[in-house]
Amino acid sequence: MLPFAAMSATTEAPVASRNAAGTPAAVALLGQGIDEIRSRRRLVRYLVHAEMKKRGSDTLLGNVWWVLDPLLQMAVYVVLVTIIARGLAPDYPLFVFAAILPWKWFSSVVNDATTCVVSRDRLIRQIAFPKIVLPVATATAGVVGFAWGLIPLGLIMLLFIERLTPLVLWIPVIAVVQYVFTLAVAVLVSAANVFFRDLGNITRHGLRLWWYLSPGLYSLDALTQVSIFREHPVLLTVVGMNPFAVLFESYRSVIYGTSDGGLPTSPNLFALVVLLVVSLGLLAASIVVFKRLEANFAKVL
Amino acid sequence: MTHELPRMHAGGTYSIAVDDVGVRYSLRFNRKTTVRESFARVVTRTPADEFWALRDVSFKLLQGESLAVIGPNGAGKSTLLQVLAGIIRPSEGAVDVRGHVSGLLTLGAGFDNELSGRENILLGGAFLGLDDGVIEGLLPSIVEFADLGEFIDVPLKTYSSGMRARLGFAIATSIDPDILLLDEVLAAGDATFREKSKARVVQLVEGAKAVVLVTHDMNWVTEYCNRALLIEKGRVVIEGEPDEVVRVHREHTQEARARKENEARAAGVDPRIAGAR
Repeated sequence: MLPFAAMSATTEAPVASRNAAGTPAAVALLGQGIDEIRSRRRLVRYLVHAEMKKRGSDTLLGNVWWVLDPLLQMAVYVVLVTIIARGLAPDYPLFVFAAILPWKWFSSVVNDATTCVVSRDRLIRQIAFPKIVLPVATATAGVVGFAWGLIPLGLIMLLFIERLTPLVLWIPVIAVVQYVFTLAVAVLVSAANVFFRDLGNITRHGLRLWWYLSPGLYSLDALTQVSIFREHPVLLTVVGMNPFAVLFESYRSVIYGTSDGGLPTSPNLFALVVLLVVSLGLLAASIVVFKRLEANFAKVL
Repeated sequence: MTHELPRMHAGGTYSIAVDDVGVRYSLRFNRKTTVRESFARVVTRTPADEFWALRDVSFKLLQGESLAVIGPNGAGKSTLLQVLAGIIRPSEGAVDVRGHVSGLLTLGAGFDNELSGRENILLGGAFLGLDDGVIEGLLPSIVEFADLGEFIDVPLKTYSSGMRARLGFAIATSIDPDILLLDEVLAAGDATFREKSKARVVQLVEGAKAVVLVTHDMNWVTEYCNRALLIEKGRVVIEGEPDEVVRVHREHTQEARARKENEARAAGVDPRIAGAR
C-alpha cells in the first residue's frame, strides 16, 4: 500500500491522539470552534427543533404564547407608563412594542443559555461532541421566537397603519446584528454557568437593570430632558454606547418613526455597522473562552 | 479499509495505546461552585485541593481484543472510559486511539425527553457526528433492534428506564464502531434484551472490533473478555488473563470486607448494621 492510501483511510477512521498537551493558541481555538459549528449544522437544527417542541408542549395554549406574551407585556408597560409618565410619545403601544420584541428575544436567549450546557450534563459525560452547538442552538431558537413575534407586531401595525412603510424590510438586517451580539453573550454565559451555578440569578437581575437602562420605554432624546443628563452630557454618550440603545433606536426608526412622533426613517447605519464589528469581535472572544473552558466541562458537570 | 489501517503503522496492530495516563481533578476549579464561594476562596487563598482519578495507567489493546475494566466503585473505571472516548483530556500522558470510537458510554439516558424515539435516533446520530444520510439508513435496523413497538413514535419522557436503555444500546451499537466502549451496559433491560445485547456485543467483538467495557458482572468478564484490567484508587493493580485478574479482585474485595468488619467490631458496632456484610 502507498503511504497516501493510509492517509485516505485516516479520514474514514480518525486516529485520535489525546495528549496532555497545553492549550492551543487563541486563533486555533477560534478556527476550531467555527469549524465545529459549521460541520454540526444538522445537530444545531435538531436541537432547535427539540427546543421548540419543549416550549410548545406542556402548556395550555402552546405556540399561541409566542404571540400572546409580547402583547401582554406591552399592555403592562402601556398601563404603567400612562399612569406614571407624562408627555407620552404618540402611538405609544407601537413605540414600546418595537423594543419589547427584540428584548424578549435577547433576554430569553440569555436566560436559556445559562442552563443550556448544564442541563445536558449527562450527555456531556457520555459523548464527545462539540459543546459549542448548545449555545448556538439556544440563540438560534430565539430567532424562531422573534419570527413568531412579528405576527403580533403586524397586528399592532394594523392599528397604526399610517406608520407602515417599506422600511420595515430593514428589520431582518437589524436582526442579523442582534443575532451576532446575542450569540456572543449566549456562548459566554453558557460556559461560565458551568463553573458558577448561581450565574442565572445574576443574569436575571442584570437583564432587568439593562432593560430599564436601555431606551426601550423611552427614547434616547427623552433623556436630554432629565437634569442629570443635561448636567453631564458624557452620560448620554455612555448610554448611547449600550448595544441595545443602538438596536432599539434602529428597530424603532423603521417600525415606529422618529422620537418626536415623525414617520419611519432609515436606521443609523454607521452605528449598526460599528455594533456589528464590535459584536463579531465579542463573538470571537467568546468562542475562544468557551473552547478554553470546554475541556473541563465533563469533569465539572 | 479501516481494518487495514493498523497494519500501516510499524510496531504493532494495536487499537488503543494508553501511555502513563493520569487525570487530575483540581477541586479548586473543577467543581460546581457559586460566585461567592470562588471569591471567598481567592480572598482567603485556600490551597487548591486536587486528586488523581487516574494515575500511571498504561496498556495496549490489540485488534479483536476485548478488555474488561473492573474494580471497586470510585476506582476510576468510568474516568478511563471517558478518556478513551475523548470526553476528558488526560492531565498527563498520551492516549492513541485508532479507529471510530462508539460515543455512548452509559446507555440509560437517551437524548431528549420531548422528542420521540425515532427523532431521538436522528438526534443521537447528529450528536455522534454521523454524516447526513448515514443515520437515516440505519434507522430501520435501530428501530427493529430496539423493538419498542409503537412507542418508537412517542416522546421519550413516557419511556421506562428499560426502554430507554434498549434505545440507547440500539443506537450505540448500530454504527459498527471500530472500538466499542461500554459502561455497565449489560445490566440494562429485561432478561430477553440482555440476551440480545450480549449476542450483539459478542458479534461486535468477533467482528474484529476492540471492546473496552466496565462491568461488575464477573461471569461476563471470564466468559467473553480475553483480557482484564483491575483498577483501584486510580491505579492499575493487575492486568492480564481475566481468570487471574478476577481472582485478585475477589481477594481484594474480601480483604476490604474483612478490614471493614474488623473496624466496625473495634468500634463496637454490629457489622451487619454497619453495612459491611
